[in-house]
Amino acid sequence: MSLKIENLHANIGDREILKGLNLEIPKGEVHAIMGKNGSGKSTLAKVMAGHPDYEVSIGQVLLDGLNLFEMEEPDQRARTGLFVAFQYPMEVPGVTIANFIRAALQARLPEGEELDAVEYYHHLYEKMDMLKIDRKFTSRAVNEGFSGGEKKRCEILQMAMLNPVYAVLDETDSGLDIDALRIVSEGVNAMRGPERGLLVITHYQRLLDYIVPDVVHVMVDGRIVMSGDKTLAHKLEAEGYDWVEKEILQQA
Amino acid sequence: METKPDLNIDRSIGDFHYDVDYEFDAGIGLSEKTIDYICDVKKDPDWIREFRKEALRKFNSMPMPTNWASHDLDNIVFQNIRYYLSQGTEPKRSWDDVPEDVKRTFERLGIPEQERKFLAGVEAQFDSEAAYSNIKAAVGEQGVIFVGSTEGLHKHPEIFKKWFGKVIPTGDNKFSALNSAVFSGGSFIYIPPGVKVKHPLQAYFRINAENFGQFERTLIIADEGSEVMYMEGCTAPKFETSTLHSAVVELVALKGAKIQYITVQNWSANVFNLVTKRGLAHEEAEIKWIDCNIGSRLTMKYPGVIMKGRKARGEVISIALAGDGQHQDTGAKMVHAADETTSNIVSKSISLGSGRSTYRGLVQIGRHLKGCKNNTECDALLINTESRTDTYPAITVRGKENACQHEASVSKISAEQIFYMQQRGISKAAAMSLAVNGFVNDLVQQFPMEYSVELKRLIDLEMEGSVG
Amino acid sequence: MSNTLMENPIAAQSAWPAWFTAEQAIALAEYEKSPTPTRKNEPWRFANLKPLDLSAFVEAKPVASEGRLINASAGLAETSAKLVLGNNTLLHRESSLPAGVIFETLETAATKHTDLFKKYFMAQPVELGSHKYAALHKARLAGGAFLFVPANTSVELPIEIFQWVEGANASVFPHTLIVCDENSSVTVVDYFKSADKLPAFACGVNDLHLAAGAKLTYVSVQDWSHETTAFHLNSTSVHRNATCTALIANFGGGFVRGESLSRLVGEGSRSEMFSINPVEGTREIDQRTLQDHVAPNATSDLLYLNALDDKSRTIFAGLIKVEPGARGTDAYQKVKNLILSDDADPNSMPGLEILNDEVRCSHGATNGPVSNEELFYMQARGIKRDAGRRLIVNGFFNSLLERIENKPLRAHLEQLLAKRLAIA
Repeated sequence: MSLKIENLHANIGDREILKGLNLEIPKGEVHAIMGKNGSGKSTLAKVMAGHPDYEVSIGQVLLDGLNLFEMEEPDQRARTGLFVAFQYPMEVPGVTIANFIRAALQARLPEGEELDAVEYYHHLYEKMDMLKIDRKFTSRAVNEGFSGGEKKRCEILQMAMLNPVYAVLDETDSGLDIDALRIVSEGVNAMRGPERGLLVITHYQRLLDYIVPDVVHVMVDGRIVMSGDKTLAHKLEAEGYDWVEKEILQQA
Repeated sequence: METKPDLNIDRSIGDFHYDVDYEFDAGIGLSEKTIDYICDVKKDPDWIREFRKEALRKFNSMPMPTNWASHDLDNIVFQNIRYYLSQGTEPKRSWDDVPEDVKRTFERLGIPEQERKFLAGVEAQFDSEAAYSNIKAAVGEQGVIFVGSTEGLHKHPEIFKKWFGKVIPTGDNKFSALNSAVFSGGSFIYIPPGVKVKHPLQAYFRINAENFGQFERTLIIADEGSEVMYMEGCTAPKFETSTLHSAVVELVALKGAKIQYITVQNWSANVFNLVTKRGLAHEEAEIKWIDCNIGSRLTMKYPGVIMKGRKARGEVISIALAGDGQHQDTGAKMVHAADETTSNIVSKSISLGSGRSTYRGLVQIGRHLKGCKNNTECDALLINTESRTDTYPAITVRGKENACQHEASVSKISAEQIFYMQQRGISKAAAMSLAVNGFVNDLVQQFPMEYSVELKRLIDLEMEGSVG
Repeated sequence: MSNTLMENPIAAQSAWPAWFTAEQAIALAEYEKSPTPTRKNEPWRFANLKPLDLSAFVEAKPVASEGRLINASAGLAETSAKLVLGNNTLLHRESSLPAGVIFETLETAATKHTDLFKKYFMAQPVELGSHKYAALHKARLAGGAFLFVPANTSVELPIEIFQWVEGANASVFPHTLIVCDENSSVTVVDYFKSADKLPAFACGVNDLHLAAGAKLTYVSVQDWSHETTAFHLNSTSVHRNATCTALIANFGGGFVRGESLSRLVGEGSRSEMFSINPVEGTREIDQRTLQDHVAPNATSDLLYLNALDDKSRTIFAGLIKVEPGARGTDAYQKVKNLILSDDADPNSMPGLEILNDEVRCSHGATNGPVSNEELFYMQARGIKRDAGRRLIVNGFFNSLLERIENKPLRAHLEQLLAKRLAIA
């Protein structure tokens, strides 16, 4: 059981961004992708989720054997168990967090079945407390007027509530101060377990001190070019990405 | 994503029809005879008969306002309409006494149930006359009068005559003239000084007959320091031919009084809804129109407030949803006629399919006034490529110690927003509905709870089929 | 119609070709049969109709003070060409324009460049209410300016046109026709001036045509006497990736009816429509605008500023129209009224008609007084209240002049404005 990306090529307009990406995240593991700006990290997250701006030319993504690209709509992929915590979460004016998450949960229930409101709020408050989100936030519109840190916490709250099988966290550390980083990481770590696979996309090693990965991958120009254990992240931090590029050149 | 909305939106709420036997029927067409018939049935006093006939002359002499308004108005055939239909002019005080064929309509619309739950009084109009009218005993004991316009005219002539036709003169526009000629039904409300009516008074206007015109006339007078909230709901079944609804509503808020007037209309798509609504706010009085327009073929409605006393306040909060083939032509009128008067207009419209929503506003602040303020915000949301929106404000703000601001924007629901919601597992259609509800959410909050739930349901229903 | 202006036959000594004078006769008939507007016509809502009685005006005589007017036709320090007209007649012309640029009187263009003239002269219908007065303009047209900039030609220094009126109740019919061919660029300043303080009638038209990739900056400095009744009917068409910046400064005129239509007919085109209107006394500026988005991905940006003192009056009625095919439209419209007196009468009607959902559109109208805080601050620095007020008005308008890219032109306009507001 895994989230398996095979020879993925994707473009936006005429520009190819993912150029044959291979990656497998077995259930129960936490993987990290590191890479420079523009290497295609965020594109990978959006392509898997089914963002309409990107076109997949070759390749597939298998979620526990199910081909995500056979699912037309992003919501079908989401309900299959894929969650993406976005780098820049959208504001949804006028739609409260409580109603939004409720609608998302309701969408996962069989036709005719209603979400139990009392149980729902109980559950929601529990997760909010864990992420130290003020309960008043339930009546605020999703991400509207939130600080960077609040947006990221709201993403993790949604992840905690929707309980995905695989989650991709795109630059979840950006815009977080040290306290917020700790809270968010604790929230993510609480979701680690044998029934879930996590893919953490980050630019800096810092986040990986809090969410310690099983495997670290390095992405350059739309491909995974190197993989290793968590020490790879430290090496990258110390020596920079130029070192990776030199390494690849030597291999070639 | 740009599929054409389903024309046959499920209007389960109002789209049904039971056959009813009418005792009084003015027949088809409009003439002095029609007016004599209505006056005879209603036993109108002579001055009202003369008032109606004068109004008919005005109506006949005035052109259709198609120099600025929709030419669809030219499709109304006044001679094909029935101007009066009723089972009698005396409303019942108990639902048990309401004839079965009428009662079942209101039961299906949930009116008696709402009355028990949260209303201080209810009037239920069926075509031309109220079938039921009652207020809670405790409210009646405070001296509150809540009756139909005919009963108001007969039993409280001293208050009625003082204000009737004073806020909206007969010749204000062609349709106020028509209403003045053939009005029947509507509410007459008087709130004595200092009385604050805790629960809302509600009127429900139901059109049942085909080729029929409903012309209710409402007059609400809130005496000094009193407060009242009035709510109206409207529905009609879907007929093959068009139906006309043309009401006149006049509000008078005396010194320090507060009136909130809430409308949730859900007309079927063949109704011409041409309504004149205006309030007169005296010193420190407050009039607030909360207006939600869903359905109808063409709605023209611009609730207004004339602020004639110092520190009076006027407000219009308006939501319009123009479905495929519909035109919601709505707006607001704010006339500042005293110092330190303030007004606020917030209008949000949604156009679906080939629907068209239009905002027309009039803001006037007279010269030599001080400290007056108006703020207007209009936001339009377009759902489909062929959807349309127009904004036509007219602002005349004189005097250097007054300020006014008008802002408008047009937007569509962003694809990014829909993608974000879909990534959470919400279907595209549900995401569109959520986004539309989000767009009007801040205004829906201003409706009483029971109405905001109803509103959300109506919006969801309208949204169904507008995305593929 | 039997006013004195109309009793005069079409000028017999006309320098115009016969085919045009024949068209003028048709235009005259059109003028006479068109009904005089009423306020029931939407384009005349709120309008003052009294100035539409033109019976006092007569045909202009040849100017008496030719030399003085030519001397007074001084604008920018450096120009590439200049044309001076007085009472519909050419008084002076100078030019150092690049080869291929045509800069002539209109009647010369009608004779020598007939094809160009026929293609562009009043090519767009007048839609904002003054159809009747456009017909009058055409019927009585005697002189005007014609500019054609050929493809890929840049005229570096601005071109100036001065159109004068002289004499009591004289009527002038100024016309400026500018055609910018593909990828050309030019800046034109059009001055409308009175030789005296007498009443006069001006009924002007200007047509601006921008072919693909062209860039035009057009500034109208309208400085008629305060007794003048004036119509200024502008129409602009902007093709693919062309950019038009038009600024109308209404410094003069007793009653001015301005109509500006900008049609974005090419993808990626851009139209900026600016106006500054200091008004006082009983002067009245009635402006109607249309930003008509026909092509996709075009931008229009309108900003009109009015500062009203005494019993002056302004009307702004604007419309952004986004046609069904105009996806990707960016359209903005804003009118700001600075109110300096209790008796001033500003009327704003900013309108939108949006028939496509892929748009970014907003409009706004604000009305407000001079801020007492700002005034106080100036007074605290020792500036007298009245002077402070004028400085604030100056700043209000200057914020718009900053949108003019050409620096010497901007400085020149700032100077004219300061002079107009009696600050300099």
